[in-house]
Amino acid sequence: MVEVKTGDAGVITTKLEEAMEWGRSNSLWPLTFGLACCAIEMMATQASNLDISRFGSEIFRNSPRQSDLMIVAGTVTKKMAPRVRRIYDEMPYPKYVIAMGACVVQGGPYVEGYSVVLGVDRVVPVDVYVPGCPPTPEALTYGIITLQKKIRGETER
Amino acid sequence: MNYTVQVIGESVGKDGRKIIKVTKENFLDLMKDLRNQGFDHLSLITGVDRKDFMEVVYHLHSMKTNEYVVVKVETRDYKVPSVTGLWKSADWDEREQYDLLGIIFEGHPNLKRLFLPENWVGHPLRKNYDMKKTQYINMDEEGNDYATFDERGGW
Amino acid sequence: MVMPSSDWVELNFGPQHPSMHGVLRLKAKLDGEIVKEIEPVIGYLHRNAEKICEMTYFNDNLIYFDRMDYVGAMNMEVGYLEAAEKLLDISISERVKWIRVIMAELSRIAAHLVWAGAYGLDLGMLTPFFHCFIEREKILTIFTEVSGSRQEVNYMCVGGVYQDITEKAINEIEDFVREFPKRLKDIFNMLMKNDIFLSRTKGIGILDKETAISYGVTGPMLRASGVEYDVRKAEPYLVYDQVNFDIPVSYKGDNLARVLVRFEEMRQSLKIVEQAVKKIPDGPYFNPKAKKSLMIRMRGEGDVYARTESSKGEFGVYIVGDGGVKPYRVRVRSPTLRNLSVLPELAKDVMIADMIAISGTLDLVFGEIDR
Repeated sequence: MVEVKTGDAGVITTKLEEAMEWGRSNSLWPLTFGLACCAIEMMATQASNLDISRFGSEIFRNSPRQSDLMIVAGTVTKKMAPRVRRIYDEMPYPKYVIAMGACVVQGGPYVEGYSVVLGVDRVVPVDVYVPGCPPTPEALTYGIITLQKKIRGETER
Repeated sequence: MNYTVQVIGESVGKDGRKIIKVTKENFLDLMKDLRNQGFDHLSLITGVDRKDFMEVVYHLHSMKTNEYVVVKVETRDYKVPSVTGLWKSADWDEREQYDLLGIIFEGHPNLKRLFLPENWVGHPLRKNYDMKKTQYINMDEEGNDYATFDERGGW
Repeated sequence: MVMPSSDWVELNFGPQHPSMHGVLRLKAKLDGEIVKEIEPVIGYLHRNAEKICEMTYFNDNLIYFDRMDYVGAMNMEVGYLEAAEKLLDISISERVKWIRVIMAELSRIAAHLVWAGAYGLDLGMLTPFFHCFIEREKILTIFTEVSGSRQEVNYMCVGGVYQDITEKAINEIEDFVREFPKRLKDIFNMLMKNDIFLSRTKGIGILDKETAISYGVTGPMLRASGVEYDVRKAEPYLVYDQVNFDIPVSYKGDNLARVLVRFEEMRQSLKIVEQAVKKIPDGPYFNPKAKKSLMIRMRGEGDVYARTESSKGEFGVYIVGDGGVKPYRVRVRSPTLRNLSVLPELAKDVMIADMIAISGTLDLVFGEIDR
């Protein structure tokens, strides 16, 4: 049946938390935080072919103070790790972290080396892991949708 | 090619480039000589850890004549004269090789580590570097990095 | 030499800064808005690729080279294989040479497109970024068709390429060659017809010839300073001596010259691809001497240095073998490291905003600088 717009204002009843979570999940503002190879794929996710503003992650903010999602894109080295932590600490609550790429998940191809952190979850708490080297923009978009479901409290298989 | 200095030997490498071997004493004179002969582009400085001595390889290139020459010098005490006075690109190249291999370039104006923090123990590209001893890095209030063996003191 | 004054303010850029193209950290000493001294601090992406290469078989090392210049991965593979195949005494067929040339040039275009988009962002323009990435996606579609992967392709291997180039891929390349010049002109006009862009690039950051050579600067930066040096012409590898192309040179040495040289290079790369697609001969795409089951038994002895022209400059790989199945020492001549080392000279007595405009033209990719 086709919905007829009558002009009358309808009433929706919901819990305040649910309304907040719904709004929050659909307006994730990621931080411009590119470290290595995956950053280019993150830029491609933002660019024309796979526009993530369709999913509410509209604007990449340059300042951690204005963003609530940190996409860690690229190898986190030991020298960079204190900065990652500092930037995470500067973000306001509620904040979420997506670990993008094999290097960020567990060290990736550089796991044998001496200067790479074996997984960014040693530095900051991670909400969603996106594997791949580098993950395709589609994979990152799926990661963001998964995070949105997580924020709304929907269970993910 | 004529040199005013004594060289150990000349050969042609597998890639067809001319290789000149020289002792450490004559090394700086040879480099000055080559610089005056028009090798204005120092392409690469490589240290190769041969376990009981260190081999330092210089790839020189002339922009005008497109000639290529490789200079090899061996050192047992990990010390080589610096060529920063002749080519400016030697500055960061030598710092990198000092960082990763511990070759001391005598006469370098600012021989600091390039990639790793200043107090990192050991030089990773050496063959006897112990990869099992994990080091961690943290930063101080100024934003400078330091290395530590303490697992809780860094990442 | 200006003596340091106590009024100077020390300002720290990066390593996380939107216009630093990755993880560059700059310690700047400022007198008001004027940059007096600048010291780059690098190593925030030091992933110890050279050490890991010593622990890995010759063929497997390719994946670390993909991740060096991650925007132009095919160029890195060509650079490594030029050295590795010489060391291992493995020849490649004519068809493979042409395939590699096509892929390397497409990769160069993709790298320059990323740079053009990011440089637009640096100077406050968002639109070119989107247009550049649309074009880049088309190149990545071709890469996906031949290799199955978008960015870090891992398409080539010792002795050839993993899969033959398909008819569909060739059609896609021909379509791209036909459509790209018009799109490139659009992107070019977007930048060049903007007064703000011109006033921020013209006459800013002039690099003279002698300084450039002395610092080891290569690639588009050196050619923008008036030195006609391109490894593809100076020491032709693969089949670059059989294709017809020009080296763009500018004598101004400023930001605008570097921008123009890169745009012209894209046109020349397209010209090479156009010729190569027509000339590609039939033949095997893989040398059976380097069969996969034999790969772990390939041994190399001696030392080989091979230089190639990547999108950033002279990319050299020096491999020392001791007769074992793994390289004894791998050393990479990173062009961007030398291009970055000239920044303290370029960004002396300029405004902070100009420093950003200058560092944007260096085309920094940190996977390659820090390795």
